[in-house]
Amino acid sequence: MILLPRGIPVKEKVDPAKVNLPEALKKLKESGFSGYLRFDTPQGVGIVIFEQGKLISALFEGERHVLIAYDALARLFELALAGSCTLDIFRLSNELAMSIHALLHGEVLYRGQELKLIDIKALLGQFKSDQLSGCLRIYTAEHVALIFYRDGNPLGFFHDGSTEIETTPGTSMSVARLPGAKIDVLSSKGNDVSVMADLMQSADIGKLWQKAQEQRQRLQKQEQEEASRTQGFAEQERRQRLVALLRSTAERHVGKIGGSLVDKEFERSLAAGLTEAGFTTFFDNLGKAAKLVAGPTAVNTMLDEMKRGVRGMAKAG
Amino acid sequence: MNWSLVQIGLWLLAGVVSFYFSLGNARVWTSISLGFFLVLIGEMIPQAIPFLPGMDIPQVEAMGLIIGTISIMVMTHGFQEYYVFSRTLELEGNKLYVYLATIGVIVGSLVFILINPTPDFDTLRIIKVVSLSNWVFLSLINIDMIRKIYINVKDSPIGKGFLIFMLVFVCIFLWKGSELYIRVYDLDFLAKEYPFRYDFSLLVSNVGNVLASISVGGAFLYLARQLR
Repeated sequence: MILLPRGIPVKEKVDPAKVNLPEALKKLKESGFSGYLRFDTPQGVGIVIFEQGKLISALFEGERHVLIAYDALARLFELALAGSCTLDIFRLSNELAMSIHALLHGEVLYRGQELKLIDIKALLGQFKSDQLSGCLRIYTAEHVALIFYRDGNPLGFFHDGSTEIETTPGTSMSVARLPGAKIDVLSSKGNDVSVMADLMQSADIGKLWQKAQEQRQRLQKQEQEEASRTQGFAEQERRQRLVALLRSTAERHVGKIGGSLVDKEFERSLAAGLTEAGFTTFFDNLGKAAKLVAGPTAVNTMLDEMKRGVRGMAKAG
Repeated sequence: MNWSLVQIGLWLLAGVVSFYFSLGNARVWTSISLGFFLVLIGEMIPQAIPFLPGMDIPQVEAMGLIIGTISIMVMTHGFQEYYVFSRTLELEGNKLYVYLATIGVIVGSLVFILINPTPDFDTLRIIKVVSLSNWVFLSLINIDMIRKIYINVKDSPIGKGFLIFMLVFVCIFLWKGSELYIRVYDLDFLAKEYPFRYDFSLLVSNVGNVLASISVGGAFLYLARQLR
């Protein structure tokens, strides 16, 4: 689970399956967007960070693995096309976008510590003495706040709804006072803007998207075939149960030849499908043939019993 | 004992029952019941010769024999159709065609008799032998065919009806077979020389005839009851 405070929401709860993602990314690039895109999927969370229109970072954190850069983008495209995914876009300041990038790719020193059990002063003292750069992430189930440090000195605060690093604790520290608040300690590796490459320039995002689309189509086709096969098996089983019922009824009323008549007439009238018209033809023809070996009373009793059986099976599904 | 009147009476009953049965039941029974009905006509003509005027006309007598032959062929065709149905479960045709085809064959035979010289004693005797040969041969064929039908439908409501038909053809075989024996060896002319053979063959023929007519009537009554 990637915990990041919400910046200024640009779009929320969008279904990325209905969006041409390369086009959307291109628009963000052209508008000089700074901020991040958050993909929430059943398989994990993806973050794509833009800084002044440059796609500087892509990360996908699944249950068992973490993907970055093009691998992360490709995976996000696949999951977006598969559905069950929501996309939120938040605007941030340039500096904060870079800080979040550094944070995501940094190292977790402590995770999920109960805030009330931490000697926060001692922790900050250690930050200063070790001249660490990084971030304290304070969070509850509903809120997240970040406190950034550079070389052991506090840089600023970031909380839900802010677009840039603030100099006053305000809301950020109010999260720390909430019951059940926890803290993660993360160290960053620095965030030199000059070395950050634009992933959209160094790779053909369109091709990644096309590949994901092709894979999605393949999967859909496989799923359809599988569904069709499953449906076919179910239909076949239903037909077998129906024939067994009709056969046993016919044999009880007109003997073994009745079972053979059922087999033949079923194949002739109901091979194309178990339709109402097919059943009408089936019962008519079976009735005529059965009258060669039994009287109308026995034949009509047999047909009535069969019709009741068929209705019963249809109700039972 | 006057067998003729008993036989005519019994065949009259059997013929009426079988014809009535042919009207009210499925197409496959039409040939079988119509064939047995024709036995009545084939039997009546020769038996009625001493009693009715005009029955001794050779052409009428020849037609009586020919209708007898047609009757066994029609009923054999009917059992053959039923056998095919019991094996393939397929049945085609309709009742009207069966009636029309049978009438067509009878009319054709009549035309054949009328356009040829008047049949004399020897010709009638040959026609009789041909007719009896057909009966004997086709009775054996039918016994086997009905046995096979019975195996296919034995647990159906009418299964036992085919056992009765087997009995019918056994009786017919005895009746027609012993008559054929008499004709082939001219025992009717040599009765004085071979009295036992002639008398015994005649007795078997008459008893077979009576039993056949009774079992035919019984078979159709049984089937009518089962197919009610």
